[in-house]
Amino acid sequence: MMFSVLAILLQTALLLALAPLVSGCIKNWKAKLQNRRGPRVWQPYFDLAKFLRKDMVISEHASWIFRVVPYVLFISTLLAGLMVPMVSVSAPLSLFGGALAFVGLLALGRFFLALGGLDPASAFGGMGSSREMTIAAVAEPALMLAIFTVAIAAHKSTNLSQMLIAAQGPTWKLLNPAHVLAFAALFIVLLAETGRIPIDNPATHLELTMIHEAMILEYSGRYLALVEWSASVKQLVLMALLANIFFPIGIATDSSAASLGLSLGWFLAKLLALAGAVVLVETTNAKLRLFRVPDLLSAAFILATLALLSTFLFQ
Amino acid sequence: MNLPSPTLFLQLALCAYGFGVVASLLAMRWEKFANGIGFGSATVAAVFGIGAALTGLTSGPGNGGESFALWPSLIPYLQLTVKLDPLGAFFVLIVSVLALALSIYSFGYVRGFYGRKNVGVLAAFYNALLLATTLVFTASNAFFFLIAWEIMALTAYCLVSFEHEKPEARNAGVLYFIMSHVGTGCLILGFLLLFQAAGGQAPGDYGFETFRTLGDKLSPGRRDAAFLLFLFGFGIKAGIVPLHIWLPVAHPVAPSNISALLSGVLIKTGIYGLTRVLFDFMGTPPNWWGVTVLTIGTISAVLGVLYALMEHDLKRLLAYHSIENIGIILMGLGAALMFLHTHHPVLATLALIAGLYHTMNHAIFKALLFLGAGAVLHATHTRNMEEMGGLIKRMPTTAFCFLVGAVAISALPPLNGFVSEWLTYQALLQGFGTTDSLVRLMFPLSGAMLALTGALAAACFVKAFGITFLAQPRSDHAAQAHEVAPTMLAGMGLLTAACIFLGLFPTLFLKLFNPLTVQLLGQPLPGFLSEADGWVLGNTQEMGGTVSTLGIALMGICLLPVPLVLWLFFGRQTKVRIGPTWDCGLKGLTPQMEYTATGFSKPIRMIFKALFLPRREVQREYDYSPYFAKNLHFESHIEEAFVTRLYRPLNRGILRFSRRMRGLQAGSIQAYLIYIFITLLLLLMFAL
Amino acid sequence: MNSSESELASQLITLLAAGMLVIQLLMVVQRMLLTSIRLFALQSLMLAGIAAIVAFFHDNAIHVYWVAGLTLIGKVFFLPWLLNRLVRRIQIDQEIAPLLNSTASMLLCGGFTLLGYIVARPFTSLERLGNNTLAIAITLLLTGFFLMFNRRKAITQVLALLTVENGVMLSAVALTSYGMPLVVELGIFFDVMVAVMVLGILVYRIRETFSSMDVSKLSQLKG
Repeated sequence: MMFSVLAILLQTALLLALAPLVSGCIKNWKAKLQNRRGPRVWQPYFDLAKFLRKDMVISEHASWIFRVVPYVLFISTLLAGLMVPMVSVSAPLSLFGGALAFVGLLALGRFFLALGGLDPASAFGGMGSSREMTIAAVAEPALMLAIFTVAIAAHKSTNLSQMLIAAQGPTWKLLNPAHVLAFAALFIVLLAETGRIPIDNPATHLELTMIHEAMILEYSGRYLALVEWSASVKQLVLMALLANIFFPIGIATDSSAASLGLSLGWFLAKLLALAGAVVLVETTNAKLRLFRVPDLLSAAFILATLALLSTFLFQ
Repeated sequence: MNLPSPTLFLQLALCAYGFGVVASLLAMRWEKFANGIGFGSATVAAVFGIGAALTGLTSGPGNGGESFALWPSLIPYLQLTVKLDPLGAFFVLIVSVLALALSIYSFGYVRGFYGRKNVGVLAAFYNALLLATTLVFTASNAFFFLIAWEIMALTAYCLVSFEHEKPEARNAGVLYFIMSHVGTGCLILGFLLLFQAAGGQAPGDYGFETFRTLGDKLSPGRRDAAFLLFLFGFGIKAGIVPLHIWLPVAHPVAPSNISALLSGVLIKTGIYGLTRVLFDFMGTPPNWWGVTVLTIGTISAVLGVLYALMEHDLKRLLAYHSIENIGIILMGLGAALMFLHTHHPVLATLALIAGLYHTMNHAIFKALLFLGAGAVLHATHTRNMEEMGGLIKRMPTTAFCFLVGAVAISALPPLNGFVSEWLTYQALLQGFGTTDSLVRLMFPLSGAMLALTGALAAACFVKAFGITFLAQPRSDHAAQAHEVAPTMLAGMGLLTAACIFLGLFPTLFLKLFNPLTVQLLGQPLPGFLSEADGWVLGNTQEMGGTVSTLGIALMGICLLPVPLVLWLFFGRQTKVRIGPTWDCGLKGLTPQMEYTATGFSKPIRMIFKALFLPRREVQREYDYSPYFAKNLHFESHIEEAFVTRLYRPLNRGILRFSRRMRGLQAGSIQAYLIYIFITLLLLLMFAL
Repeated sequence: MNSSESELASQLITLLAAGMLVIQLLMVVQRMLLTSIRLFALQSLMLAGIAAIVAFFHDNAIHVYWVAGLTLIGKVFFLPWLLNRLVRRIQIDQEIAPLLNSTASMLLCGGFTLLGYIVARPFTSLERLGNNTLAIAITLLLTGFFLMFNRRKAITQVLALLTVENGVMLSAVALTSYGMPLVVELGIFFDVMVAVMVLGILVYRIRETFSSMDVSKLSQLKG
């Protein structure tokens, strides 16, 4: 069999189970840093359950696109997640796609989400769609260049497992400038893709300052549950990519239960460390004006270019 | 199974097109009959064309069918030889698939012209254009190629200015005509250079066979000159930046089935020409050729999509996207040239395949999008997106087909645009290791620009699809639109099916490329391209990246139970209510409160304002206070940089020069006699 | 020194040098003067770190430790403190709009990095511990000069001069096998100190005369 059904089921379950936890941790720690108590770490699970049980109100102007968007978004994000190695070196769907398919699937989800923002004829939705597609467009060159840099180090392969294997080695190899600069560039792109400060404020309630929230303003009930869950899974998947490709410590190379368990522990630790870094950045920065965001993303592009130059600059 | 030979199919196709021309002209008076017979014979010819192409490409490697002469040769050097070799067969496939879908579509579309315009003439020119294009792809003699090229340009001109009562159609036709001829001039010079290098004696010296043996017989200076001439000439036709200004002017004004043909096939003749000349005739290229083509491709791709984002005319937007996709195709071809120079033939096949696959994909999804735009134009009588909206409820099938086209052109999995861009990315990635010089930096940077283009294209099509089809109708015509005729839907459906097929089964389609790469590069398809019994599209190296669009699609369907299980557990008793959109407590949302196309692209306009130089003007008319204006006039422009900075000064310079030259025509007979005398003297001295 | 340790050292030096480059780029787009000063302090800290590693791996060469120490005290603590005091006294804490906007500046500096690499290529076959940092040093030089003419406030130009000096120091420390003679290092060091102090007084004077640190106003001094 080209892939193992058990691995797919387990990784899907892991993605779905872990995603709200990471969101909850980020919210809770952000609050603690701001001297508040904050919601419980398990709150997102309860929120999702609540949304699933509620009635839905759908706009009279919306068409079938509105109803299809949550499914497309959810499934494309899960598929992208199945291509990322999480606890084991080989991801379940690594044969079906690597880094490029990963980026493409996330783009597919975003395309439909933007359409879903325009569908109910709401001006806020249109604004959110417009801003989201613009920011995604400006972030793409940095993302692609960073992926290319990592792929070049992995013998020109875009297979994510190959990239992971190539990054393994003595620990000081992690200090390779190309590695560090590509990580910095991808971290900024992570902030842009998951809509965190300084690009977007996920906790705002002012519609004119929203980007991602504005697109999903009309969703309610179980569709909202799917859309919110997809957003957390996307965040988890991008963090997992960053954590595993750049710090492949402790990842399981065989499929024995013990090494998988140990790998899961390391994975959680890396995720929480990355979440901590995101919380720090969110708390110490203010949200940027929309037209300053391209400056930040072009800084990410330059960092990625430097990473590329470093591959042969430091031979 | 003994299939008829490809040549027979080709002859049948050419006859059917010819019949279509003649019959439509004869049946000019009876509209419905002309419609039926004209487009009917085009359909039949298209089927024969597909047969010719498929049998030509699958009949094993080699040089394809035998050549035959259309007409015995009466003039020396002019042999009307037609030959279906693999490269030609591939492009004949593109033209025939498009012709099939477009002809079916035209049955219904052309009904909109009944009573107004002459349908027989339209059908005749349509068949003539298809005939000329097929001959361009299969001509095997340079003179004949140029003749077919000119016929193609002329019929295209007639079709572009078909609605000649509108001044914009007339101007568009003239601009197209002039630029096309400048290009043809360069082509003639280029072929003359090749002819001269081939000896310039025997009548067969204009044949493509002779050109193929030229290889390295050309001196470097002549080769470079020929390269530049062909790049310029075929580039004008293909629409590369900065030679592209005719494209967004000419494609929107033609009738929509013709626009689809123009964008889908005619600009690909430029790509065919470049591939034929650069890969078949010229041998091993120097490095700067590949670098130039790659750079031009990258610039065209980025600028094309940026200008497309600023448009609110649906067909002009699609025309600019054609420029972007030609850029992407040229990126693949440029990379292939660079790989040929550094002697990496396997990588060159990967890059060439990526470029040609994208040619096919672009033809299909661009034609689909133009057909959709034509249906929308037919239903709402306007091309302006700001007046549309809500069409998805009134034209559901058209909307679905347009959506598939939009997803395909934005290079989203699992459709065909994603597959060809994936191949292009892989070619660019492998390129980094082919050389040690700094030129290798171009590959990842072009890859980053390709990513930018893809994301901007996705943004543009969210705008195009969203503003046109979603939300509420913004004008009365949009509110009263109705679904279009079944034949139009059938044509669009055919192309939609092709998009999905080419996306989900790339490995099947790639098998057709084998004779092509053998012919052009002497290299069969790399083995790793098709892995796991054809499920997975691979790379040229063993542990390289892989993708399986079929797998992704099937896996997506398999994951569908997950949300459904969640509904089962949690949401069994939930109800769905239909209510108004959130309107901040006002009495209800009117269409005026929706987002507009111009507003959607404003962030991009602001970010790239160094390129667009946007200007806006607001004029208020008020009685006693500016806050209570009676009238508000708002204008927003972007500068078309190439027209104002390059072409207008060029025009002015040429006109100034011609005014000075006018002095030569003094009108006096003695002056003319003196000119003749001086020329005679010069010729005599030259002969010495 | 076994090879894996020297690999680690080489990797660390390369990382710190890349860090210096990134900080230089950040300074090119930075607007707040106080943050620019802090970035300069961080860059000098990295330089001190490189000097320390070089000293450690060349059998504890004492005078290179001295260089590291001097850089630490002078460029990480003293000079930034001096400049901070100056900025607070003249109460101007933001830069005015530069000649080239931030995206164009960054792309240009990317070009300088490439140029630095091309220029340094013939020299990178040396088997030194930090041989690949010559490209970075040249880049620091070029971007420092760019920073000097891109900005108009005098303090930023002083900082740019100091980063150019950082670049020169980087190539001196990393490329020569036992560092330069201590006398030369001390000389350069005190030279820089005095230059900054004089410039500090000068900047204060400019501020008093023109009520602004805009150096384009100096053209008013023409007769």
